[in-house]
Amino acid sequence: MVLNIICITLVSLGILFFLGGAVGILRFPDFYTRMHAAGKGDTISIFLIFLGIAIYQLHDFSVANILVAGKILFISLFIMLTSPTSTHALIRAGYEEGLKPWIRKPTKGQPDS
Amino acid sequence: MKILGLISICITGWLLLSAVSDFPEWGDPHSPANSYQVSQHYITKTFAETSVPNMVTAVLADYRGYDTMFETVVIFTAGIAIIGILRRYDSSSNTINKPESFTEKPKEDLIIRTNCRLLIPIIQIFALYVIAHGHLSPGGGFQGGVIFGASFILLSLAHDLKTVQKKLPEGRILTLAGTGILIYAGFGFATIVLGNNFLDYSILSKIMLGTPIEARSHSMLGVEIGVAFTVAAIMFSIYSNLVSGGKMKEGL
Repeated sequence: MVLNIICITLVSLGILFFLGGAVGILRFPDFYTRMHAAGKGDTISIFLIFLGIAIYQLHDFSVANILVAGKILFISLFIMLTSPTSTHALIRAGYEEGLKPWIRKPTKGQPDS
Repeated sequence: MKILGLISICITGWLLLSAVSDFPEWGDPHSPANSYQVSQHYITKTFAETSVPNMVTAVLADYRGYDTMFETVVIFTAGIAIIGILRRYDSSSNTINKPESFTEKPKEDLIIRTNCRLLIPIIQIFALYVIAHGHLSPGGGFQGGVIFGASFILLSLAHDLKTVQKKLPEGRILTLAGTGILIYAGFGFATIVLGNNFLDYSILSKIMLGTPIEARSHSMLGVEIGVAFTVAAIMFSIYSNLVSGGKMKEGL
């Protein structure tokens, strides 16, 4: 019962972060901020969802299930390593190509700060 | 135009979903695929005949080994064809069609290189695991070979094409690709020499240890290793040819 609550909370949190990442990709103004949303949101949400699944595996406490949970955690570790790296590589490629980051245009009457 | 697209997507989705109900039930024993005699034979007798728990691999590498051998040859031929189309040996016309930004080499990136150094050994070990476990669990030569080739692609993405070529020159890649098919066909010819049909592995128990049934299981592992050699080598060969425009000088 307690395990179920923990699992559901973790997976829902993960889905929430996924939603945030998706909204960020759609709504942010330029390439860099979009990649930022995608990289951050996906990494943490996949980690949370997989943590929830791994804890769900421990319902029946046996060696085989612990092994499965460990494998799931290894997948999430792999994604935590690769997802920020790929985001970094993409942003670096954009920077080297000379893509200008988005800056807020100064509105009339207000000094540019 | 957007509404038109939406309507067409809805109609297509409805058609696809309405076809779902015509499928046989999941795991239905009376569906056409399951009620046919051959699949009954595979499902009930695979483990007794080959001592391989993964019957997909048993069908792939043993019952239909001839088919799989030529699938490997297809991959080899695809790699050879791509080399034949793309590979350029002249070095004189090297800088003609090149944009300015590609000529100067970008600085190597610490984060990407460190992460790849961390990941590539793990990926390669996992690839070997997939190959070696092909007859016991889902996996096999094709999958493991692709993962192994991907690790080299990752290395050449993180560093340079030259870094990989120092370890694995072009000629050696092609040798490996040919070796894979040679291993596969070698198993077949060994069975002929010992007096059985082509790729009928049970006779190999005379030179391997164990019973004829175990010999089939071990030969499947050997055949998978051959497939993995070819697939891994051809994967990297295709990548390096595509990425350098056939010049094999510098990649991305």
